[in-house]
Amino acid sequence: MADSAPLWAVFVLPVLLLVVALVTAGFDAVLTAGARGGRAGSVREAAVRAADPAREVLRQLVQQPRRTRASDVALARIGAALLPVAAMLAAVVLPLGFRSVSDLPEGIVWFNAMEALAWAAVWLAGWGPNSTLSLIGGYRFLAQGLAYELPHMLAITTAALGAESLRVGQVVDAQDGLWFALWMPAAFGIYLLSAMAMAFWGPFDQPAGRDVAGGAAAELSGADRVLFLGGRWLLLVVAAAFSVPLFLGGGYGPWLPGWLWTVLKTGAVLAFLVWVRRRVPTVRMERYVELGWVVLTPLAIVQALVVAVVVLNR
Amino acid sequence: MELRRRLLRTAVSRPGVLLAVSPGTTRERLAVEAELVRRGWPCVSAPAEADLLVVLGGHHAEESDGDAGSDWAANLWHAIPAPKARVPVRDAGQVAEALDRGLAELRRGEPPQEPHQEDDAHSHRGEHGEHGDHQHGDHGQHEQHGDHGDHGDHGHNDNSATHEGHEPGPHEGHNGHVDHDGEDRGHEGHNGGHSGDDANSGHDVHSGDDGHSGHHMHNGDDTHSGHHMPGNGDTHGGHDGHAGHDMHGAHGGHAGHDMGVVAGLPMADRADDRDGLRLDRLHVPLGPALADWPAGLILRVALQGDIVQQVSAEAEGSASPYPPFWDEPWLRALSGERVSHGEAARRLCAAHLDSLGRFFAVTGWTDMAARFRHVRDRALAGADAAELRGLLRPLIRRAERSRTLRWLTAGLGPLTAEHARHLGVTGPALVADGDVHARMRVWLGAAWRGADECDDTEALDTAQVIGPRGRVDGPVPASLALLDALPGLLEGAEFAGARIIVASLDPDLDELAHVPAVGMAHG
Repeated sequence: MADSAPLWAVFVLPVLLLVVALVTAGFDAVLTAGARGGRAGSVREAAVRAADPAREVLRQLVQQPRRTRASDVALARIGAALLPVAAMLAAVVLPLGFRSVSDLPEGIVWFNAMEALAWAAVWLAGWGPNSTLSLIGGYRFLAQGLAYELPHMLAITTAALGAESLRVGQVVDAQDGLWFALWMPAAFGIYLLSAMAMAFWGPFDQPAGRDVAGGAAAELSGADRVLFLGGRWLLLVVAAAFSVPLFLGGGYGPWLPGWLWTVLKTGAVLAFLVWVRRRVPTVRMERYVELGWVVLTPLAIVQALVVAVVVLNR
Repeated sequence: MELRRRLLRTAVSRPGVLLAVSPGTTRERLAVEAELVRRGWPCVSAPAEADLLVVLGGHHAEESDGDAGSDWAANLWHAIPAPKARVPVRDAGQVAEALDRGLAELRRGEPPQEPHQEDDAHSHRGEHGEHGDHQHGDHGQHEQHGDHGDHGDHGHNDNSATHEGHEPGPHEGHNGHVDHDGEDRGHEGHNGGHSGDDANSGHDVHSGDDGHSGHHMHNGDDTHSGHHMPGNGDTHGGHDGHAGHDMHGAHGGHAGHDMGVVAGLPMADRADDRDGLRLDRLHVPLGPALADWPAGLILRVALQGDIVQQVSAEAEGSASPYPPFWDEPWLRALSGERVSHGEAARRLCAAHLDSLGRFFAVTGWTDMAARFRHVRDRALAGADAAELRGLLRPLIRRAERSRTLRWLTAGLGPLTAEHARHLGVTGPALVADGDVHARMRVWLGAAWRGADECDDTEALDTAQVIGPRGRVDGPVPASLALLDALPGLLEGAEFAGARIIVASLDPDLDELAHVPAVGMAHG
């Protein structure tokens, strides 16, 4: 059973998320630099490369914000700032071990609602600057949302169905014996896909793709850019971390304490996602919408049906 | 204060570098890219994230500051938020020094640097007297433009002193500058804040014209660009002017027609979409400053949502006295020099690897793009065949076997051999006889063979002079045929698809920019 954490956890949570995001981004940066310039010659060189994201944050922070003509500055700023806020709010129901900042009775719905704020965030950031490429980025995210959101919601509903509760703590408890990932693999797979899609990252990075010069982020600079792109990493970390209580048994595991299991499992999921990113090209919107509606949604429905039948006969 | 300075120094220790690449500077671009990797500096895709602008194009850099030719580069510069620095790279051998200079400039911090830069920019403006007059006069502009529209086809009869008046590009750019200067003197510290405005104040002016002169102007513009179609040796600076507002194609919507103007920018116009619905349509120039884009290519597209409706391709026409880098071995062999077969094979391999790097970058497979570029750098650095084969084998296998890639690229931009032959295409695009995936596979195969043969010391056989883009000794440059193929393939494609199609043909505008001796005096 998940307990509510003490008040100070509210302050620890953002710090923890930031650290995990920086470590993940650092890992990603080492692999990226390795692909471009050959493998790092020494540990020192690898460490320098791993510090890239941190340096990048500092570099962006000293840049002055800029404006484009007839831009809607307020909208763009709100969009940029909303992304990390959405990630943080979604993380409130994330249990570390068996404790979350707030184990809401409808935690899964809360998570879904907060994560959907990203739709607004990316669209606003894309629309605000009044620039074609960033607008295309914004459009792309809406199309992507149409593709991933439905299978995604069905997938997390399936996990809730298996536990017969919307409370994240109870979903974890229901996996004391068998992880959900093992008996609802399709839902787990779909969840991982949509985790990347909602963070518009990896194979789903079209909304901020390099082919549109950064898409929704194309015109953001300075602190706005840090918030937006940092928020994207946070969202990825939170989405990946949420797969642990939903499908991977949360803090359950032998020998080690629950919190360590959570961290290890989250790390494993993130490492997997970082690896996947290297193996596949970006999935363009029109193809992903097709996949989402023709394959993933029916698959998710069948998965939910199977789980429902099992639960009813239990 | 000390802390602040140190923080700034650390922050810019690895500046984000934006490349402004003109046709004819492939050698310099490759050198810069390799050097950036060595230093671990990020190569960014938009001015918003850049600190350091590296302007490639040494040979015309002398007059470039005052010349309309680098107007788009100037606009790019103004769109970069402070702190920022700009360095020209004139020679592939001086890349390291140039970057060091840029870094030093960044580290000094912007306050002492900026006024100097601005003055510079301003003084050259003085040379084009006209601009001063039109600083804030949209109507003045309009008249000029109406002119231009009406006489759209008189093209470049005008000499270089007056042609500015007829060119949409330079006007925008320069107006942008002038505004900027004015503002800047007001509040020195806010360069970054305004630079964004700047890039767009160009559009402002442009749109003013559009709003008034309606379709004429656009037509005039088109006709005009028709004149500038590559291959006409006489591309004087004015042509570059087109690029002025192109930037990285971002600040769109400035070619709207009769829909009125909001905040100085035109509204989108309307047109029927493919389902017969009347929807907003934007006229946007793509290039020449997009990342992973053929240097100097400008596509004027009408976008509906992100569907490309109409396209016309043109080349940003700064003439280059140097032969196109990728065709060099064949050209030298044709001129009678002894060139080894291995050297040509190596160049061919590197050219295809460069194209593949772009192709994968645009398809969003950044990891593959990075790996192919790594091998390209190795090939150019003179790695032997065994090493290249070892590096390439896993990459080629992965690219060929990727089902995701096949699923994502299948059916995009089909170009049958018959149609390709009709267009005069002679290179890989003809051999491929298919969609972008087929073209990629031809590149993979050719790059592999090139890597295989790159230690061959026999003399190059001049009977068959097929370079990376096609016949080197043809009546027209091979890339011109590729340019001709573009509009037909792009119309109806989505933006992302369109970019992949462009990358899969990868026309090399160096071939068009190369103007042997005679044209030099002009450009």
